[in-house]
Amino acid sequence: MMRSRNPVAIALVVIAGLLMLAPMLWVLALSLKSNAALMADTNAVFDGAFTLENYVAILGNGQVFRWIGNSLIVSLGMTVGVLVLASLAGYGFARLEFPGRKILFVIVLLGLAVPEQAVIIARHQLFSWAEWHNSYPALIIPGLSAPFGVFLMTQYFRAIPKELDEAAMLDNASRFTVFWKVLLPLTIPAQATLGIFTFLHAWNDYWWPLISATNKQMFTLTVGIASTQMNFAQTEGLGFLMAQAVFAGLPILIVYLFFQKYIIQAVAGAAGR
Amino acid sequence: MATARASKHDWPNALFVLPYLVVFVAMIVVPLGMGMWLSTTKGDLFGVEANVGLSNFTRLFGDPIFLETVKNTFYFVLLTVPALTLIGLGLALVLNTPARWATVLRTIFFASTVLSVTVVTLVWRLVFLPDGGLLAVISEALGRTPIAFLNNPDLAMPAIAITTIWWCIGLPMVLFLAALQQVPRELYEAAALDNAGRWTTLRRITLPAISRTFVLVVIIEIILQFQLFGQPQLMTLGGPNNATRPIVLFIYETGWRQWELGYAAAAAQVLFAMILIAAMAQYLVASRKGAQ
Amino acid sequence: MAGVTLTEVSKTFGGVAVIQGLSLDIAPREFVVFLGPSGCGKSTLLRMIAGLETVDGGEIHIGERRVDHLPPGERGVAMVFQHYALYPHMTIRDNMAFGLRNIGTAADEIATRVEAAAKSLEIGHLLDRKPGQLSGGQRQRVAIARAIVKQPELFLFDEPLSNLDAALRVRTRLELAQLHQRLGTTMIFVTHDQVEAMTLADRIVVLNDCRIEQVGTPMDIYLRPATKFVATFVGSPTINLLPGKASDAGGVALVTLADGTQLQTAVPMTGLTPGDTTIGLRAEHVRIAADGATKATARVVERLGERTLVHVELADGSPLVAEDAGISSVRAGDVVSLNINAAAAHLFDADGVGRHAA
Repeated sequence: MMRSRNPVAIALVVIAGLLMLAPMLWVLALSLKSNAALMADTNAVFDGAFTLENYVAILGNGQVFRWIGNSLIVSLGMTVGVLVLASLAGYGFARLEFPGRKILFVIVLLGLAVPEQAVIIARHQLFSWAEWHNSYPALIIPGLSAPFGVFLMTQYFRAIPKELDEAAMLDNASRFTVFWKVLLPLTIPAQATLGIFTFLHAWNDYWWPLISATNKQMFTLTVGIASTQMNFAQTEGLGFLMAQAVFAGLPILIVYLFFQKYIIQAVAGAAGR
Repeated sequence: MATARASKHDWPNALFVLPYLVVFVAMIVVPLGMGMWLSTTKGDLFGVEANVGLSNFTRLFGDPIFLETVKNTFYFVLLTVPALTLIGLGLALVLNTPARWATVLRTIFFASTVLSVTVVTLVWRLVFLPDGGLLAVISEALGRTPIAFLNNPDLAMPAIAITTIWWCIGLPMVLFLAALQQVPRELYEAAALDNAGRWTTLRRITLPAISRTFVLVVIIEIILQFQLFGQPQLMTLGGPNNATRPIVLFIYETGWRQWELGYAAAAAQVLFAMILIAAMAQYLVASRKGAQ
Repeated sequence: MAGVTLTEVSKTFGGVAVIQGLSLDIAPREFVVFLGPSGCGKSTLLRMIAGLETVDGGEIHIGERRVDHLPPGERGVAMVFQHYALYPHMTIRDNMAFGLRNIGTAADEIATRVEAAAKSLEIGHLLDRKPGQLSGGQRQRVAIARAIVKQPELFLFDEPLSNLDAALRVRTRLELAQLHQRLGTTMIFVTHDQVEAMTLADRIVVLNDCRIEQVGTPMDIYLRPATKFVATFVGSPTINLLPGKASDAGGVALVTLADGTQLQTAVPMTGLTPGDTTIGLRAEHVRIAADGATKATARVVERLGERTLVHVELADGSPLVAEDAGISSVRAGDVVSLNINAAAAHLFDADGVGRHAA
């Protein structure tokens, strides 16, 4: 941009940036205080006596790791599942002819307009009837139906020049070989975007795991953190609670810092549908 | 590639889309239909008792709590969407430069978006806590009594709105940044040659160029914030006195606390309709404006 | 080596029949060029032979086999695409081996063929690179090498020279000619460039609006164009076409132009109705000569080096392109005399059908 920047505006934005950081720093600070000190006087934050005892306590208490493990399994499972299903479907919609292709694609697109609330009650019922709650498949399968992935992959496949398919057909490649050996390798950027977006979405999902994984052993990280939040009133383990928050938030923030470009691309791309 | 009508021996090609379609039908089409059917029934955890036609809906529109939640949801959308859009735009305008300091700030503003709602609410409860929260500590340092935001019927929703703005500001900022980068440099250069000042350039060149994105951001945020759920559920439990209960929380509690599935499904249908209408209305308004 | 036979082939796009009842015979080992303007159907025809477009009517035979219902891979055909269509993520070696691997050829056989093809096209040093690292000309050769490796019965080229710059185009043209001499495979080459057609083809198929206008050797096409379209499409500069009145002068046509010039052609009157006609004269038969019978005014002079093209206007304003030697003293505005070789003239009737000297 060629115009010089308004210094007042910049100052405002810097202040806003500090305000953005403040809550996170506050939580970090609290997590490094002992529970006893905070119970006595919550203003103890500033008296400079920091401790790692809350983190030690977390490491000793296996719960958080169970939650993280569940979240990992579900998130990775959903990511792989979405990539496989969406890539196959994207290729089919973009390149292959079959009866009803156009209508089916439109129907899938319409699915983009359906919010979670319109289907979640019935989904819950279905899994209840199948007695399939509190399982990894129950946490993974609903997420596989999101039309966004199919939409993204279809657009991406469409953008690849058809000449490549034709050359491969002349090279005696079957439909699947064209997909697997020729086109799929060219979609890696889209896979990265879709994969990261799905992972993030699965990792942070709240409502569905809340009602489906009701068994403590199956809690995902989000649900686990929420469950301990419910005991907030006692402020007994305030420091401990904060350490949990840091524990829950830090990994994803670190991932974010490393994969910033992809994550932003993924989220912005999803919205731009 | 082969053109014309797909012939019978193209059926095998459909195998590629079949796996996804199975999941799509099972998890979207069927539940959608089921939801609509459920909304006309009266039932509970153990099954459907009776079909009651549209009486769930009439009951909804006479239910003071439900109507309160509708009001709350609209109020919330009004609190958050303009703020998110304008602040996001402002941030994007200032931070649209490759300079180091801008990159750091952009990272900070987007970081909150990758956190889950449970972490965010945990953090902000700590901010709003009347006894030892960040704001309380600051007020005491300034010699004033701390305000119990989340316990105050008038302040609870705004507090949740602030939490949400903190959480969600990254997306509008990023979308506007992308749009700003699409504006051709020549436009700005021509404006400079035409002696356009900063404000004029902003009003006459920049804003019209990103108007489509502006509409997009508003639509997206309306749709997203209509679906408010986790923040009030975790921070205020919908209180005090239903002041912060949005529609989705109503659906959740009706469905999974009171086990009135039919009633909850009906509320879900109403929400679905509202979201669709809001998005379409916004789109129509925008396309008419654009046509002028 | 196999020939190609198209019998009453037709193609429909969205309910509209674009190609109808087209028949063509290509002999084994022949180098045939499909020549025509954009949209004339030449690429569609090529792709129907390749199996990339369906055949809605008629039959296509390659050699003895009927192929129009076979998938592309089973027709024994190799194709060089306009934009090369090299697989971007594979090395050149893998690009070339891909087709053979798909049909289960033994690895050492593949290696032998790849080395041989690479050697003949001088790309041996590029085998481990990826297409993105190659120049346009190199990619072209890889595309051709990929086709050779399959040892097909038929080579198809879809405007392969269009993406090359002028100098490269000429060089590659020569190499293609040599390739054909070396391999002797039947080749079908699609282009809109008449120079490519004239220099490479054993026979040219001129297409317009999805119909065959003429099939013949380059000299046939040039000296005896079947239609007005063919006459104007082939030859540079474009053939001169003038309206005139034909009358019988002892069994051959005498054409009188608007400015009164009388041209005694060698075209027999059989089948010709006296009256309005169009006479075609190539620029090389309209020469600037001091003793020329026709007077004209020079408007634009183009000096090409080996010859000079003089755009003139006849007494009645009709435009003509005349030729002069490379060193010419004609200047714009000069009044010149033209020596017209009417014996080389062509006549075109109202339907565009051409008639020539016997």
